This record gives sequence, structure tokens and C-alpha cells, in this order.
Amino acid sequence: MAWSKPHLGIARSAVLRYGLAVLSVSVAFGGALLIERFHLRNITLFLCAIAVVAWYGGTGAAVLALLLSCMGFAYFFVEPSHTLYISRSAIPYFILFVLFTSLVTRFSAVRRRVERELLQSRHELEASNKELEAFAYSVSHDLRAPVRHMVGFTELLQRSNASLLNDKSQRYVTVILESAKRMGNLIDDLLAFSKISRVEQQKTLVNLDQVVKEVLSEVRQETNGRDIVWRIEPLPVCYGDRSMLRLALVNLISNAVKFTRTRAQAEIEIGFTDQKHDQVVVFIRDNGVGFDMKYVNKLFGVFQRLHPPEEFEGTGIGLATVQRIVHRHGGRVWAEGLVDRGATFYFSLSKSQGD
Amino acid sequence: MERILMVEDDPKDVELTLTALDEYNLANEVVVTRDGEEALNYLYCRGNFTGRSNGNPAVLLLDLKLPKVDGLEVLKQIKSDEQMRMIPVVVLTSSHEERDMVASYKLGVNAYVVKPVDFHEFVNAIRQLGMFWAIINEPPPGSVKKRV
Repeated sequence: MAWSKPHLGIARSAVLRYGLAVLSVSVAFGGALLIERFHLRNITLFLCAIAVVAWYGGTGAAVLALLLSCMGFAYFFVEPSHTLYISRSAIPYFILFVLFTSLVTRFSAVRRRVERELLQSRHELEASNKELEAFAYSVSHDLRAPVRHMVGFTELLQRSNASLLNDKSQRYVTVILESAKRMGNLIDDLLAFSKISRVEQQKTLVNLDQVVKEVLSEVRQETNGRDIVWRIEPLPVCYGDRSMLRLALVNLISNAVKFTRTRAQAEIEIGFTDQKHDQVVVFIRDNGVGFDMKYVNKLFGVFQRLHPPEEFEGTGIGLATVQRIVHRHGGRVWAEGLVDRGATFYFSLSKSQGD
Repeated sequence: MERILMVEDDPKDVELTLTALDEYNLANEVVVTRDGEEALNYLYCRGNFTGRSNGNPAVLLLDLKLPKVDGLEVLKQIKSDEQMRMIPVVVLTSSHEERDMVASYKLGVNAYVVKPVDFHEFVNAIRQLGMFWAIINEPPPGSVKKRV
């Protein structure tokens, strides 16, 4: 990674910094001498010059500007004029100069420290993101291979020695196969899940209605022979990453289809409500097996499942994926449900680029 | 004379692939190299392969994650060599990583196949690959000829 030297809003070359000090004070002088013609004495110009130098030039340059200002001020503007002699009555001016300079220098130092810390944590973040990506990359290459071998050789065993295996052994072989396949699915789902945070989002205006139609034609292929009543409201255009929003909707809609499987007639409703500030809340409601609200916090966790696998299959990553996608869009996702009385999933999205 | 050059470091993957190809009697058409360097040595008839009979393979099955010289490097070298660039190269990899796929296509790969976890799908994929590239496809001039 290219660690470019952080630019903290401060001139890097010493010539530039001290030049800035001399230049600013000179300009202040010019201004002050000009004003003096009208018999006004104004130290604000000097203070401005010092402030500019302290802010952009750092402490050293600020001290130089302070010295120059004090000397010039003493020479031109303090009685007796044209000497560096300072009368007692003029001392408060110099105290003001010094205090002001130290104040601005302090502020500027704090600002630079905060900037430096921010920059450093950004670098750290980038580094850990890179690490995460490398990790996911090797997971996707190296973890799938052993699973494939387990499945492959178990199938070969089953095929070549089927007659030698008694019922019990056959069952063991089946269990090995199922477990290995499940492992494969888990790895794939986890990779897809981690991809959501790794991949750059490409946000555009997305016609949610169109996306839902696509998702439905995909999901419907797997619902042959089931009696499902779809109630679908035309959805608005929202702002977001199309493929991610599609993935979120695929998860939510196939969940609705999955958890209504035990119903003689499934009812699935998709709709939305408009909210303040260009926000819209989309909901997917079903009359499926629902869930107990006391577990609602577990619903969106990775690998969290509220149903035994023999009842409803799945890896427990779907809703975690949905949540991560919605969060990356700056939205909120939540659910309401009752055991055996269906569930409703809501998520909020922005309709325009807005914030 | 073998017509399929397979570059694969994992012996279990080699065995599974050969088993799959065996059903079309294609297994004895395969020469296996275990890393990118060996594959390039084979293609350029050098190192252990100095004395091999001439002719390019009709297809190269290339894994991406390999010891020494990795798959993308092999692909790059082949596709930038006048003599070799016509050899059809099929990337056969474990991963769905998009950047591997994009990099491979940019280098001019002829096909990109992700090894399925499911064995039936794996066998089918390998068989179809073997069938297509070693039997159906007409290889470029300079390739090893089909046995009659």
C-alpha cells in the first residue's frame, strides 16, 4: 500500500512557512500604516496575520510572526514612535499579542493532532480491510477444496462399494455427504455475506418494482404446486445498489415462501409506506409459522436460526445479509411476528441521493 | 500422445478429475503437471520434458492457485507467446472470486469453470469439458492429433 506522507493542511517546506510569516506580517503592516493615515490605530490586522500564520505555518512560523509584529508595532505605532522603546502603557498590547498567539497555536496543534489520528485510523482501517479481503480470498480458494474432496470420495465409495455397505453404513455415508454439502453451502453463504462489506457499492436510482418482479419470477420456479396468494403493491424508485437490494429482496421473499410452506394457502404481501425526509419503508408480510417476539434480537444474527433444520432448511445467514445490506444503505431493518400467525419484515430506504 | 495438459497441485483433485474423465476414456489422454513451472516446462519441452514428442496440447486445464508460478502467470505467459497463444486454456478453479475471473478473461482465457462442490456436478462439468475440448472442438494447427 502506498503510504503517502500525510498532508495536514500545513505547508511542508520551511521556506514556505516562514515566508508566509513574513508576508502576512508585512501585509498587516501595510494595512495598519494605511489606516494610521486616518489616525486610527488597529491591532486587529496583526492579530489576523498571526492567526493565519499559526494556522497554516505551525508554531515556529507563528513565533516569528509574533516577534515581527511586536517589533514593528513597537517601532511604528507605540509612542515614542520610530524607536523600539516600549512605554509601560503599551505593555498590554504585547501581552495581548503573546496570549493570542499561544491560543491560536494551541488550537492549531490540537486540530493537527486530531487530523493525524484520524488519518492513522483510516490507514489502519484500510489495512484491516485488505487483510479481511485476503482472508476471504483464501477461504474461498482453500476451504472449498477439502469439502469437494469429502463429497467426491464419499460418492465414489458409495458408487463402487454400494453392495458391500449394509444399511447402517449406507446411512453413515449419507450423513457424511449431507454434512459435507452443508459445509459447502455455509462457506459459500459466508463468502457472499463477507462480500457485502468488501465490495464497493454502486448506487443509482433503482426501480424496486422491477427488482421485485425479477425476484418473483426467480422464486416462483421453486413454488410449483403450491397455493400462494401474492398481493404486491407497485413499489417506488429508491436510491441504492441494485444488485445488493435485489439480494436483500431475494432473501426476504424466499424466506416468506419458505416459512409459509406448512400453510394450505400461503399469503404473501409486499408493500410500502412513505415516510418523512424522502424515506420509504418496504415490508414483506406472510401468514407463515412466524416467530416469538422474544427472540427478535436473534433474528438478524449470523448463523442464528429459530427453527430446527429438519423443519426448515437454511444456513442462518440470509437475514444477517439483509441487515448488512440495509445498514450499508443507511437504513433500518426490523421484524414483527407471532408464533403461527405470520411475520412481517420491514426495511427503510432513501428515495433520493439526499444525505 | 496426451492431448489434455492438466495443471493441478492437489493430488485429490487430480484423482477426482481423472476418475471423471475415465468414463469417456479420456483419462489416458491427460498429462498432469503439479505447478506452473512444470506446466511451462512441458509446453516449452524443457527441464524434465526435454525429450517429449512435439505438439501442443489440444486444451490446457489450469488451476489458479499453484505453487511457484501461479495460474494467472502461466496464462499470461502462454497468451503473450506467438507459438502458444492459440492453445485453448480453461481455468478450473475452486473459487468464485470475481477478480480472478476478470483477470483471467482479460488475459484471454478461453473458458472459466468453478469446480462445483457437488460431486455429480463436478463429474458432469469435467466430462463436458473433456468431451468438448478434446473431442468436439477442432484444435488449432500445431496441436497433437486425435488418435484414430
